[in-house]
Amino acid sequence: MSSVTMDESPNSEEIMSGNVAFAKGAIHAGVGFCTSYPGTPSTEITETLLQYRNETGMIVEWSVNEKVALESAAGASWMGIPSLCVMKSLGLNVAADFLLNLNLSGVGEGGLVIIVCDDPKGHSSSNEQDSRFYAKAAQIPLFEPSTPQQAKDVVAHALELSQIFRVPVLIRSTTRLSHSGALVSSSPFSSHLWVPSQNLPSGLYNVPNPEKQHRELMEKLELIQDKFDNHIMNSPPKEWKDILFVATGVCQKYVEEAMKYIEEDVSFFGIVTTYPVPHKLIHECLKHSKRIFFFEENDAFVEDQFRIVASLENSPCILDGKHSGLVPFSGEMNVDLVLEALRDFMTPKKEAEYEAVPVLDSRSLLIPRPLTFCAGCTHRNVYYALQRVRKRLKGKLVVTGDIGCYSLGVFYHNSMETMQSMGSGIGTANGIARLADFALDSKVVSLAGDSTFFHACIPALINARHKNVDLTFLILDNSTTAMTGFQSHPGAAEQDESDRIVEIEDIVRSIGPDSFIRIGATDVVDLTDVMHATIKQPGLKVMLIDSICRLERKRKQQPQEGSIRIETSLCQGESCRLCVSEYGCPAITWSSDSETAEILDHLCVQCGSCIAICPQRAIQEE
Amino acid sequence: MQNPFNILIAGVGGQGNVTSGKILATAAQREGLRPVIGETFGASRRGGTVYTHVRIGDTDLGPLIPVGRLHVLLGLEPMETLRASLEFAGRNTIVIMSSVSIPPIGVHARTDEYPPVESIISSLEKMCARVHTVDSDSILRPINAIRSLNILLIGIMAGLGISPLGIESLRLAMLDILGPSDKNLQAFELGLSDNTG
Ligand code: SF4
Ligand code: SF4
Repeated sequence: MSSVTMDESPNSEEIMSGNVAFAKGAIHAGVGFCTSYPGTPSTEITETLLQYRNETGMIVEWSVNEKVALESAAGASWMGIPSLCVMKSLGLNVAADFLLNLNLSGVGEGGLVIIVCDDPKGHSSSNEQDSRFYAKAAQIPLFEPSTPQQAKDVVAHALELSQIFRVPVLIRSTTRLSHSGALVSSSPFSSHLWVPSQNLPSGLYNVPNPEKQHRELMEKLELIQDKFDNHIMNSPPKEWKDILFVATGVCQKYVEEAMKYIEEDVSFFGIVTTYPVPHKLIHECLKHSKRIFFFEENDAFVEDQFRIVASLENSPCILDGKHSGLVPFSGEMNVDLVLEALRDFMTPKKEAEYEAVPVLDSRSLLIPRPLTFCAGCTHRNVYYALQRVRKRLKGKLVVTGDIGCYSLGVFYHNSMETMQSMGSGIGTANGIARLADFALDSKVVSLAGDSTFFHACIPALINARHKNVDLTFLILDNSTTAMTGFQSHPGAAEQDESDRIVEIEDIVRSIGPDSFIRIGATDVVDLTDVMHATIKQPGLKVMLIDSICRLERKRKQQPQEGSIRIETSLCQGESCRLCVSEYGCPAITWSSDSETAEILDHLCVQCGSCIAICPQRAIQEE
Repeated sequence: MQNPFNILIAGVGGQGNVTSGKILATAAQREGLRPVIGETFGASRRGGTVYTHVRIGDTDLGPLIPVGRLHVLLGLEPMETLRASLEFAGRNTIVIMSSVSIPPIGVHARTDEYPPVESIISSLEKMCARVHTVDSDSILRPINAIRSLNILLIGIMAGLGISPLGIESLRLAMLDILGPSDKNLQAFELGLSDNTG
């Protein structure tokens, strides 16, 4: 085995995020195949693997969606290649249909690890689901590392387990692990040679007796419990005290720190192998403790497993956590929440220097800082146009939306009215539009971005065609996955040399809408008129709107010098304010000196879109 | 040194918040200490509030600073400094803040009103041990380095000698993370010598 040095200094420590650590762990573990769909907070894992792919030789891809990613990874695993599949929490919902079959069929000799990154508090997500329930639903083993170092180490353990038992193995991260940086040991990578088998292993289906497969999976889980009993990644207490704190994931670190701030001596158990928590281990904890407190993010996942064994054993040990109301089920955990949960049971150390001094009246000084479309973002133009159309239709318009940068439309005069899962905009619009049979009089519009179109919109669009509903589908195509940092997708402008582009237009035309219009998004007046005419027409209409992501542009070229200005003599001032109040480009502000609009040159990208919205022609190009 | 020593960087997306965290952590590593960085991006690219937690100690810690245990608050924007302070500051917190405000979109649209910077400063003074305010534009504009605000504040912190991170470690960390950049070096030096606040 030859040695390829990519980490800067061999056998030293380097600051890396949990996500980079996962990626390096995968390289060290010998993963040869990685598939993924971008989603915060998981994206950097795959980006890191892509960055190193020339050196490692690993096959790494952004797949069209998470289900295809998982299926593809399973295929490679069946042929003997160690495989990794990476996604965010909600992505696992998309892949779940396959996962709940793959668990029974089994993975191949290569093994298969899934890393799912949850987002408690939903910093960048539309829910804060606890994806650990998929480990339980699929009855597959689960690891929850607590630090970037553990993130690096865990991948090899998970892969080994998957190879031994031929089950997919899940690793759960959360935002605070994925996006935290800490020192992690770094060492040179070893190079691997992957040789696929030429044939599939036998029996990769669950029929005719899925229950037999299920039984076999349960038996494997029993054996895995034994392995987890003394697993090296768990930190069992060195000595037992009456009170035990059990923590998982980043909560391990919060609890360890909180323990420094209380007087009492307690024992601590940090569990990384959180499904299945071995019954033997639970039994030990119950036997040695009078009271156990559980700290985990989101659901009472480990707590529930303890409660089951406690009830089976009729244990007198008191169990405290989420079910006793001490630890919240929602939001993120932190040291303060741990201390708050312990308030009635433990004595805090007196440290006057660290007391917060509440100055409550200052809170009223704060104003919100809502997220907004970037200066010159063409999504703003689409929503501005939609709002105009809404007025022209006297409010008889419903707009269902989707997941991406353009989801900020919910904050833009509420012009996008729904936002659930990938592809659900066009799906829900189908149902609404069918109510025309019940004399629904409003026009139905749904919108989605380019990456989302490929990910999950196509079946619903086919359904709309098949059922012949009256609806307008807007595709906001900026040719990149902008939300997560410009990953490629089948229709993206930038492609790998070996990739072939798939045109959205070709797909849409082949479905056969009653009308198809391709239009640019910079001319707001034109966009409004065409949108209005299109929405009014009956039938299935698709507008492919060529859009521009300014961040993407900025990445590639320097902005020019400022050339958009307000002719103050023409600006109507207070009586108008249309450009700042309704259009709302962040590069337009209000000057209290001249009482007119004013362009902030350092933010303006000279897109020129605002010129047409000013009724007085006060916004001008120089 | 207080162990752990906690620094929070508060600002708005695009102000170099994440980079600052990396510089502080790299400097800590150069000092032989163990840094942990906690950050939330996602919102960072689209003009939202961004906090970066930097914790420096001799053992690995969780990524979030507990309430009241904040030693230095680097405020890239006044209102975000106040927001962070209300969440994390204690009576020992030292604030180093730029007085140049970035109004949220609601201020342009006039649905919200930006609070007077003097009120922000006086609130901070009531909450924290010390507030060092700097009119960063007047310092950085002459050297055409408005975007080096984060470095200016790190320089001020280094000059005040209030963190376990030495001037040389910070200088080298800057070089590691940003590469050689005259503007950043100048901003750092100007920070070191700033004692106006
Ligand atoms: S839209 Fe034109 S007239 Fe109205 S406030 Fe803006 S610049 Fe002035
Ligand atoms: S030209 Fe107008 S719309 Fe475009 S970025 Fe500048 S101010 Fe905003």
